Amino acid sequence: MPESAYDPEADERLGRAFDRRLAARLAEAARPHRGLIAGSMLMFPVIAVAELAQPWLLKIAIDDHILKSEWLGLTWVAGLYVTVLVVLYVLRTVEAYLMQLTGQRVIHDLREAIFDHLLRLEARFYDRNPVGRLMTRVLHDVEAVSEAFTSGLFAVVADVITLVGVVAVMLWIDWRLALVTFSIIPILLLVAVYFRLNARDAYREVRRRLARLNAFFQESLQGMRVIQLFVRERYERERFGRLNADYRRALFGSTVWEASLYAAVEALGSIALALLLWYGSGRIVAESLTFGALVAFIQYTNRFFLPIRDLGAKYTVMQWAMASSERIFGLLDRTPEIVSPSAPSPRPARPAPAALEFDSVWFAYEGDQWVLSDCSFSVMPGERVAIVGATGEGKTTCARLLNRSYDVRRGRVLVDGVDVREWDLTSLRRRIGIIVQDSVLFAGTIEENLRLGTDGAVSAADLSRALEAARAGFVAGLPKGLGELLGERGANVSHGQRQLLAIARALVYNPAVLILDEAMSSVDPESEALIRQAMAGLLAGRTSITIAHRLSTVHAADRILVLHHGRIHEEGAHADLVRRGGLYARLYELQTGAAPA
Amino acid sequence: MVKRTIDALQADPATAPVGAYAALIVLLALVHGSSRLGSRFAITGASQKIEADLRSDLYAALQTFPPRFYGAHSTGDLMARSTSDITAVRSLLGFGAISLVSTVFAFVGVLAAMLAVDPWLTLWALAPYPALLLLARRFNLKVNDRAQAAQDQLSVLSERVQEYLSGMAVVRAYTLEPRARADFGRANAEYLRLSLALARTEAGFSPLMGLIAGVGTLVVIWAGGRAVVDGRLSLGALVAFNGYLAYLTWPTVALGWTLSIVRRGLTSMTRLEEITGAAAVEAGAVATGLVVAGAVRPALTEGGLREGRPGSDTPVPSVAVTPVVPAVDTPVPFVAVAPRPSTASTPSRAPGLRFSHLTFAYEGRAPALHDVSFEVAPGETVALVGPTGSGKSTLGLLLARLWEPPAGTVFIDGRDVKEIPLASLRAGLGFVPQEGFLFSRSIAENISLGRDDALSVRVRDAADVAGIAEEIDRFPAGFDSVVGERGLTLSGGQRQRVTLARALAGAPPILVLDDAFASVDAAKEEEVAANLRRAVSGRTVLLMTHRLRAACTADRIIVLDAGRVVESGRHEALVRRGGLYARLWRIQQLEEEIARA
Repeated sequence: MPESAYDPEADERLGRAFDRRLAARLAEAARPHRGLIAGSMLMFPVIAVAELAQPWLLKIAIDDHILKSEWLGLTWVAGLYVTVLVVLYVLRTVEAYLMQLTGQRVIHDLREAIFDHLLRLEARFYDRNPVGRLMTRVLHDVEAVSEAFTSGLFAVVADVITLVGVVAVMLWIDWRLALVTFSIIPILLLVAVYFRLNARDAYREVRRRLARLNAFFQESLQGMRVIQLFVRERYERERFGRLNADYRRALFGSTVWEASLYAAVEALGSIALALLLWYGSGRIVAESLTFGALVAFIQYTNRFFLPIRDLGAKYTVMQWAMASSERIFGLLDRTPEIVSPSAPSPRPARPAPAALEFDSVWFAYEGDQWVLSDCSFSVMPGERVAIVGATGEGKTTCARLLNRSYDVRRGRVLVDGVDVREWDLTSLRRRIGIIVQDSVLFAGTIEENLRLGTDGAVSAADLSRALEAARAGFVAGLPKGLGELLGERGANVSHGQRQLLAIARALVYNPAVLILDEAMSSVDPESEALIRQAMAGLLAGRTSITIAHRLSTVHAADRILVLHHGRIHEEGAHADLVRRGGLYARLYELQTGAAPA
Repeated sequence: MVKRTIDALQADPATAPVGAYAALIVLLALVHGSSRLGSRFAITGASQKIEADLRSDLYAALQTFPPRFYGAHSTGDLMARSTSDITAVRSLLGFGAISLVSTVFAFVGVLAAMLAVDPWLTLWALAPYPALLLLARRFNLKVNDRAQAAQDQLSVLSERVQEYLSGMAVVRAYTLEPRARADFGRANAEYLRLSLALARTEAGFSPLMGLIAGVGTLVVIWAGGRAVVDGRLSLGALVAFNGYLAYLTWPTVALGWTLSIVRRGLTSMTRLEEITGAAAVEAGAVATGLVVAGAVRPALTEGGLREGRPGSDTPVPSVAVTPVVPAVDTPVPFVAVAPRPSTASTPSRAPGLRFSHLTFAYEGRAPALHDVSFEVAPGETVALVGPTGSGKSTLGLLLARLWEPPAGTVFIDGRDVKEIPLASLRAGLGFVPQEGFLFSRSIAENISLGRDDALSVRVRDAADVAGIAEEIDRFPAGFDSVVGERGLTLSGGQRQRVTLARALAGAPPILVLDDAFASVDAAKEEEVAANLRRAVSGRTVLLMTHRLRAACTADRIIVLDAGRVVESGRHEALVRRGGLYARLWRIQQLEEEIARA
């Protein structure tokens, strides 16, 4: 069982060990691998026979050769034994591999399916599901599902075949002795189930307390400053000590059950052995049983103890697997809300700049907390428009509606006169480029990052032109130039350089409409100047909307829209708006006043 | 025992005391089982106890670190140490120890038993063992390597998932889905490949046990059988031999595994010692005359910081002679435990503060404060204002010694804070940090922080002053409502007011508010500010804020810019002066106008 400490408690629930609906879904997931599964299944009987042959050979060796002092025959039996041994080793190896192969392939495919599905889900879904939880689905839940195959399905089938085989052989050798041995089975089952269920509950308690302990630990790390400021070190240490002791007690409890189970099964094994010897010897005295048969019996008995002992563990594994697959299928069953229409409006590949329009748009992220209420404006082809407004006024929301990250509640958003909901999603997003200045660079080389979203049709010359236009000359100075690797989130280039790369990337992407969402964060003045120059080049000859958090960049816009309380409050050119002395004039003064004198 | 039984049977079937033997077998099994259970409980219990102690030590060590440490170590890294490293050490002490000891005993015991039965046969039976041991070791190394490779690739896969899921907005905007899919597909396929490589090795490894057991049996049948045929050995001895040999199988196979657990445990132990060792160093650094035994502290708090010494302006001398005790060993007793005669309204004497030619830089960065000098008279309220990054917060952090100020720069009542014991220094400070950190506990606990007996202000009254009591009353469980991930979510403003109440509850003579109202809305802020003015009259207050409304009623305003004091005086004077403060004031007014528009 995975001892993952970070699962939130919601992920701690056990499912039913068997759920027909889920099992059907799992079977469907395994369908592509049915050849493999069938192959592994076919091996089980062969392995069972080979395993059962060992004690049998031992019996023959003792009864027919050793007791009869037949040296030659013994060597022959030994040879046969070696053969069986080697065959069994090979078979088991192959079987173990086949099982893993199946399990790993199912994992691989499920991961792909989940990730694929996640890529199709809309922004709203991501607002509600933290990345950590989604990662658990992709990375850990699938592992539990594969356990359903390896530890569940396969193991159960293998155990059943072995058990049936052992029982059959024992009955065949001597049915009375067999029945004596079997008399212990009900007790064994009871013991196994009783201890295992308790062990499972104890283990669940361990996980609960560990989760609590770790949560406390993590919170303490985050709140260490508060603890230190209020001199609460001792108090917190005592609290931690209590949780720590709780956890230790639970852990020990689970150890007790687990160890007791093993000890009890062992004790039962010895009782069975004693029974065998006691009853068997009587029979040997009566000469109705051979020594070899008794010895073989002892070995066979061992072989059916183990599967029964581990029955409970498998049951628990199945429960985990079912709970995990329920979460996985729950995710896969979620229909993406924002998809291309089944019959998108035909889009002639138009090189001309595009026109945009917001037509009485209403939008809220949550309930009726309207971010945009009856917001209308239009942007002519080739026009450069800037949207300004106080923080939280929905400027960024406009960009998100344009590329259908979200859908409007009411009204329409039009691109080239066509409602975005009638566009093919990919063509729409290809036509509208959004640059978030505080941009994400992906792990990979600079070149890979520049080529993002283009289909390889970009020449090296295009790349260097874009870099030049984006004032990203620093790339040439890097040891490996375009081939330089960017770390996680592009950590090894400076903030300003990252923005320049984002601009270069947009130039390479070359969309007809450019939406520029300015970063709030400040960069050093030198980079700032470079960025401003690069922007100017980027906007030339395109329809563009600049979402301005700093007004210093909007002078050049053809028109400025002032967004206030969810709609357009003022619009016009910079000079007009300043003259008008309205909201924009105040915003402008605010911004320029804020700049250091 | 089995040997005796069988031999007895063979010797004289009619008179063999089989019943007695059978009973003896059961008895021995019970003794063996219970003693094993006992030893297992003892060792596991001990290892779990050590685990708990280690975790407590780690926690205690972490409590001694200043923010500098938390800047350098991510929460994730520290969590890993508390989870996987401690678990690895537990495995080393628990399973590793059990396994090592039982391996040694198994080898010694079984060897002795086997030698007693038949030395020659023992030699025969053990002949294949060195080879098998080597084989197991090789397998084990390979399994380890491949497991590591697969684990590493899983991290890569997990990074990919995290990167794309958290950069989903960019993925959408640039239609990167195909690329993401391909990228993920590659990492996923590589993981499949490495997992299967691991599976191949493991598939050969696990059945090895069967092979070893089988070979042992084979040798015994063959060589032993011959001995029986020749009459040199009894049949019972042969069967017993076979049984003994089985005891050797598991330890042999597990040896490599055990060794790797030991190795991993030792590595983890080192990682843990890094932290606890660093804590000792930290404590040593702090302890240079600063960390004091508990006995002295209450005296100081009562005498020095709270009431002062009647007719004396000199610092409390008792500290200077205080023995230095490392913080780790001396749990810092909570200062407020000392009964407080005064109440919130009138601390008998508030201390004065003085910053004198304070220049301070965070490690590896340009100085955050340049030659800052000013005084705060006892009972005075001083507001520190200035643009973001002007050094306001740094002053508070240095005063509370969350960062160490240079000696001779920060004084409370004329005493260098570096000479005041940390615990009493902080107990005398009510520090309300910007972030409004709450623990996942009830609101009442968040305010009291377990100081219930010691609080001079009731939790409710403190909440009243902070202007949050009424809102708390409206929560389902009132003050007992639990906040945090699994409880209520408070708004940023509510959180800040709860942390304010937390500071007020201690009735500290000095109150430091570090932008404590940043998220509180303007109307509420007025109310809280008015409450506060009444409640803190007579206390020394340092108020850092960029909201000038909160600052303008202060006795004095100090304006910081880029780490220097540029202006100081009362609100009206500063506005008239037309400097930085006047400009900031104008910006504030504009913001208010825009908000009202």
